[in-house]
Amino acid sequence: MKEPMRLRDEGATALERALLDAGSAYRGSPSARAKTLGTLGLAGSAGLFAAATARAPLASAGKLSLGKLSLTKFLAGAAICGAVAAVPGYRAWNAHHGSGYAGRAVTSPIPVPPRTEPIVTQLGTGTAVAEAPAPSVAAPAVAAPLPGPVAHRRAAGDATVPLSRELASIDAARTALARGDAAGAIARLNRYARAYPRGRLDMEAEVLRIDALVESGRTDQARARAREFLRRHPNSVLGAHVRTRLGD
Amino acid sequence: MTSAVLIETGALEPGAPAIPDRLDRATVARRAREVRLRELVDQYVDFVARVLRNSGTPESEIDDEVQRTFIVAARRLDDIRPGAEKSFLFRVAFNQAAHARRTAARRREVAADQAPEQVEHLATPEALTDQKRMRELLDRILDDMDETLRAVFVLHEFEEMTAAEIADVVGIPRGTVASRLRRARSEFRARVAALGSGETER
Repeated sequence: MKEPMRLRDEGATALERALLDAGSAYRGSPSARAKTLGTLGLAGSAGLFAAATARAPLASAGKLSLGKLSLTKFLAGAAICGAVAAVPGYRAWNAHHGSGYAGRAVTSPIPVPPRTEPIVTQLGTGTAVAEAPAPSVAAPAVAAPLPGPVAHRRAAGDATVPLSRELASIDAARTALARGDAAGAIARLNRYARAYPRGRLDMEAEVLRIDALVESGRTDQARARAREFLRRHPNSVLGAHVRTRLGD
Repeated sequence: MTSAVLIETGALEPGAPAIPDRLDRATVARRAREVRLRELVDQYVDFVARVLRNSGTPESEIDDEVQRTFIVAARRLDDIRPGAEKSFLFRVAFNQAAHARRTAARRREVAADQAPEQVEHLATPEALTDQKRMRELLDRILDDMDETLRAVFVLHEFEEMTAAEIADVVGIPRGTVASRLRRARSEFRARVAALGSGETER
């Protein structure tokens, strides 16, 4: 079937071209990306923000009339937990741990208009990058975002590499460590680092490496790496885990 | 060090969930979702904004609607097939915009007693380079277009997608894309001609 030509390529008038250009040239506001990441709890500094929000139950926001708030402000204040909490693994975890401050925070409804719901009914049902396991192990309190430096670096990562492949590599190392094969885990993490020099799960890889070093008795190296990790990522949710290793 | 010790030392608040002893699969999977969501925003935020705008969302509401679109994506992340992200976001954004158009149409009905703007001298260099004015005129033309025609027109003329890509994104056969596109372009040209009657210089 012949590919239809674009109007501007087949003798459009000057006025038609100007109108088409007005459509093509449109750019959203420079702040749209930052606002969206903030709303989703993925902004660089949102680790602290998310934690603070989680500790302040949304009841106070609920007392306000939506009409008195701009949507942006309301979403930034309220959906930051809800949007991220919508990630099924986190939701499952939350159901498992119904008490505690994080549990309270995400019980408020997400302020998204119901009109958005029917859109997705015809879409595919393929799975995302990973299957969430049964929530038998507690996850950290807040679905915290990536901290600044790594977040920026990851944004520049190679998006053409399927995340599932990176995840499989990390999983292989984690599985090796779980069965007591610390050396095997480190070997796999080395392979991961070589295969994905700008890996998007590099923080997770580093935390696993610290675990593996502890397990293999190389505590000095583990402590040095743990301190470096905390220095670089002071607000990371993984930091709590690393601190426990430092405290062992 | 246990959670209890951390609570005693003030590192954790009472009531906080236990810290996992090991970096578990759930944590990694959740982080992977965050990474995917961030990549969606990075890759498609301009696309979403443009689709929203060209599909009828007023300029003043673009930022809010961009956020709404990605919140829907966050909620349905596991339903989005890898490779179908653009299609998903387009459908959400187009639907959001359709709602905004209907709301705006109701506002226009209320203000229907106002005289329509006169369009004159559209082919002058000044007018053609007046982005704001061209944008307003484009909005007016597109707003009169049937939604099904508008979708393929926006994707073909502004997003420069192929017919096959549009068929995939909109979920219609390629032949239907071609026929809708013909009708949409015919309507567009007729409305432009009506706006700037007599100004058909090439």
